[in-house]
Amino acid sequence: MDQFIQLTVDGLTLGSVYALIALGYTLVYGVLKLLNFAHGDVFMVGTFAGFGVLQALGGPASPKVPIWLVIILVTLAAMAVCAALGVVIERFAYRPLRDAPRIAPLISALGVSFFLANSMQLLFGATPRNYDLFQYHAGTLYLRGLHIGGVTVPLLRIITIVAAFVLMVILWFLVNKTRTGKAMRATSFDREAAAMMGIDIDRVIVFTFILGSALAGAAGVMFSLRVPTNVSIGFIAGLKGFIAAVIGGIGSIPGAMAGGLILGFLESYIQGYVHGAHIPDGTQWSDLYVFSVLIVLMLFRHQGLLGRPDIRKV
Amino acid sequence: MTPRNNLPPGKEDYSMKKAFVLALAVLATSVVAASAQGSQTASARSLASFNCSKTITLPFVTPLTGGAGFLGTEQMSWAKYAVKTLAPGLGLKVKLVGGDTPVEQGPAPAQTLAQKYIGTPSVLALLGPSTSGAAAASTKTYAAAKLAHISPSATRTTLTKTVGGTFDGSQAFFRDVPGDYIQGPSDANFMINSLHVKKVVIMDFQEPYSLGLAGAVDSTLKAKGVSTIRLSAPNTTTDYSAYVTKVPSDADIVFFPTQKPGDAQTFAQQLIEQGKKAKVFGGDGSNDSSQFKQPGSYVSNFAPDITGIAADAKLIAGWKKDNAGKAVGSFGPPSYGAVQIALTAISKACKAGHGSTTRLAVFHTFKKVSIKNWILGGSFKWSTKSNDPLNAKFYIFQIQSNGSYKLVG
Repeated sequence: MDQFIQLTVDGLTLGSVYALIALGYTLVYGVLKLLNFAHGDVFMVGTFAGFGVLQALGGPASPKVPIWLVIILVTLAAMAVCAALGVVIERFAYRPLRDAPRIAPLISALGVSFFLANSMQLLFGATPRNYDLFQYHAGTLYLRGLHIGGVTVPLLRIITIVAAFVLMVILWFLVNKTRTGKAMRATSFDREAAAMMGIDIDRVIVFTFILGSALAGAAGVMFSLRVPTNVSIGFIAGLKGFIAAVIGGIGSIPGAMAGGLILGFLESYIQGYVHGAHIPDGTQWSDLYVFSVLIVLMLFRHQGLLGRPDIRKV
Repeated sequence: MTPRNNLPPGKEDYSMKKAFVLALAVLATSVVAASAQGSQTASARSLASFNCSKTITLPFVTPLTGGAGFLGTEQMSWAKYAVKTLAPGLGLKVKLVGGDTPVEQGPAPAQTLAQKYIGTPSVLALLGPSTSGAAAASTKTYAAAKLAHISPSATRTTLTKTVGGTFDGSQAFFRDVPGDYIQGPSDANFMINSLHVKKVVIMDFQEPYSLGLAGAVDSTLKAKGVSTIRLSAPNTTTDYSAYVTKVPSDADIVFFPTQKPGDAQTFAQQLIEQGKKAKVFGGDGSNDSSQFKQPGSYVSNFAPDITGIAADAKLIAGWKKDNAGKAVGSFGPPSYGAVQIALTAISKACKAGHGSTTRLAVFHTFKKVSIKNWILGGSFKWSTKSNDPLNAKFYIFQIQSNGSYKLVG
């Protein structure tokens, strides 16, 4: 039972980060029908921005302000940097290609991805950066927490999970209960009709990039609180976020949340439980199992779990 | 519906098949011709005369980007310093160039770079590849061109020795650090004799370096009656929580031969997070005190801490002047040594050729090089049995509460 609880906590932590990344993909796809492959690298920039602010605040061992405030400030700073980066990317890499064939912005997105990864390496080098919060009060954030059965859910994991869910609730509120959110939904449904109804499409798209990129920044910090980052981390994180978005149904906000969590749980349980003499071990072949599940899912439900079928008027 | 090109139904398929077979035949002929031409060219290039007064290109094939980018960056800084300080004294003009082989991209970049460098006439010898996988993937290409290459960190045993019928190296592959056939048993014997282990978890990361080293440790431990458990994680893993869950609470050591020291630190912290008592024991790939610093953990490495070698004081001061604010790590000094060996071989070959030389001559001179004042202490000589250093050994360090590495074995 303890192993199940531990793996569930692992899956929830991992899944909540995947969900935040997936939301960025799904928001942009929903509005622009663009697979923003630079999103993973925006996430990477967020991890570095957070690291810079953490150091500016005195580092993990002797922070100048209380640790809870450090985490909030680091997260907000990373969100702000990534939001600004998202606006710049949209303005210079995607907007000029808005009426071009769909392959053009896709190639541009890949170009931005490589540009960001290489520029960051040029600026900051290849050395991994570790937030190393273990140094704070001799590992308090790792050793103290909630006791469930024989398992301790450390404070750092609780912070990651709670922060991710708070951000998801805020996003849900923004999209479903505000005027701008309504404009986003209208644009997503039919961009031309929305423009004819007086909605400023450019503004909606910029806002979408701000939201998606800010979430990537927050995900970057949530991820790096526990794991070191480097300039190439965006590729894998972005890929996992994209897969989560596809599982949930790309374009669907609840789908991205669900997809992220499903992917996190799948990885965790497969690594923990799948082993035996006659089957490939889950720790070694977790990607094989996870992607097999994804293929089967796609075969039976093309639009993902909560995505809308692509119905076209003929 | 009218068939395309006005061909009758069925004929269209036939003409497509004909075109396909023709294209395949042309492609196959081209490949055979290119291979023949390639081997002829490689052989001719090994004998092509090079005027030693011209600038020699010295490539260093190492991961400069990606998760192991820290390794290549450190190695390049020492290689650069070695070229700057040693080349003028040997009467050579040398241009050092970096060839990037990110570990995440597997062997492909190493193969591409090998083709590029054997096609460059000013390349007489080469540094690297730094990782075992990249070395195994490209060394036969270098051997065909008689281009000697020396790695300062590829420790996989089968690069210089045949084990169980497997040999991944070539006569052109040299290394100035000992292989895993020394590291694996050294680490395992230290665990048995000094740490008195009963149960050890051994991780690998599904790439040649960790598989070789994990296997060497595993076999030595098993042979001496220690219980071992193998876990295997993809090389792209960042969060090891699920793996830590599988570490038994009575395990003494987790052997963690990663090439990403930050991951060893993460694993050590996640062990503590889940209340596991096992200590992490890393190989040479995790030897970086700025990233792997969990007190109580162990690290083995092919090089000692050269800051403790009095004869190296001037050399270290010079390197620090060029690399302000950087600490002396363990990957850099063997790279300095590799440059020293390569340039000495080229210089000797140039002298023997009265001002000109060939790749073949440099290749044959490599094994004749010995260094009196070796950067890693003592002197350097080649083993007569393989292209490994003679009497080299591994050093074992324990991480102290202040993060420093203390020599314990």
